[in-house]
Amino acid sequence: MTVNHSFFPEQGERMKRWEEKEVKFFGKITAGFTHELKNVLAIIRESSGLMEDIISISPEAIILYQDKIQKSLDRIKNQIIRGVELTDRLNRFAHSTDENIAKIDLPEFIEQFIALSQRFARLKNVALITVPAEQPDQSITIVSRLIQLQMALYTGVECCLNTMPAGGEIRIGLKQSKEKVAVQVLCKGDLPEESEFIHNISASEKWQDLQEISAGLGGSVEVDESAHGIVLFLPDEIGP
Amino acid sequence: MKNLKIVLVDDEKEFVMTLAERLQLRGIQTRATTDGEYALQLIEADPPQVVILDVMMPGLGGLEVLKLIKAQYPQIQVILLTGYGSTKEGITGMHLGAFDYMMKPVSIEELIEKIEEAIDSQP
Repeated sequence: MTVNHSFFPEQGERMKRWEEKEVKFFGKITAGFTHELKNVLAIIRESSGLMEDIISISPEAIILYQDKIQKSLDRIKNQIIRGVELTDRLNRFAHSTDENIAKIDLPEFIEQFIALSQRFARLKNVALITVPAEQPDQSITIVSRLIQLQMALYTGVECCLNTMPAGGEIRIGLKQSKEKVAVQVLCKGDLPEESEFIHNISASEKWQDLQEISAGLGGSVEVDESAHGIVLFLPDEIGP
Repeated sequence: MKNLKIVLVDDEKEFVMTLAERLQLRGIQTRATTDGEYALQLIEADPPQVVILDVMMPGLGGLEVLKLIKAQYPQIQVILLTGYGSTKEGITGMHLGAFDYMMKPVSIEELIEKIEEAIDSQP
């Protein structure tokens, strides 16, 4: 994508800065996934290696260590399933750049987002979970910018991760009103007092980023003090 | 490799358990854990010659564990394992006193070679 930054230098600079942030976001998520895929490969490698070790001891060892061989085979099978799912998620993430503006099924988007970001929360000992929809069969779709929307939600999660202690959880859910959709990112666990929580979130550099991305999506963001969380308001359809 | 004791630390349980079994089949006394804090307890209970340590772990991260090991047991050699697509953490680890770092997935032969090198250059 080529953007002409020369007409309005200030706006051009801002756009350029955001493009750099988008590339960094893409890199961060992809790097996290390759780490997970390397773990999958490492487990497959060690499990098949263990089988080789056993077979090389003596042909009789195969019968003697049958349980170990079966366990290794099960591990390989499970890691292949994990690897296929990771590759599928990564593939979908890579394709999120295909269209600048797209129709987005939000429950599906949140499920994909959680799969993409789980690792970053897990490294801080925080669980990332979906709040079940009030009407599970109801589809909630918006027309928006997919990459920026992922960035917005990821930045919201980062705000929470930087504010909350280890051992908690972040719940992501949806609420729909007349013309807007609200994506809630709620923190649960041993959290600071409401006022301290709000101060910590709104003082962070990530919060400013989140406000800018939300505005770029034609929406807004608020801290929900009573629920200890962040609410992202999005229009049904982003303007041109 | 007789009487060689190592501690293996990685948050991927299946990886750490399988690798430990393979090292044990080669006569290396291996204790494995997925938790950095528990690794420190294992080291305190019976200090090994070498610790193999994953860099990216939840809770106490690999570099934190490395600092704590080196502060108390400077003679223990630490080999860092990382799946992270950058050498930055490995180099930081070497500045903090790690013997070397290796990228996952690593072959067991290469790992054993590295363990031997670490033992040979033990302070």
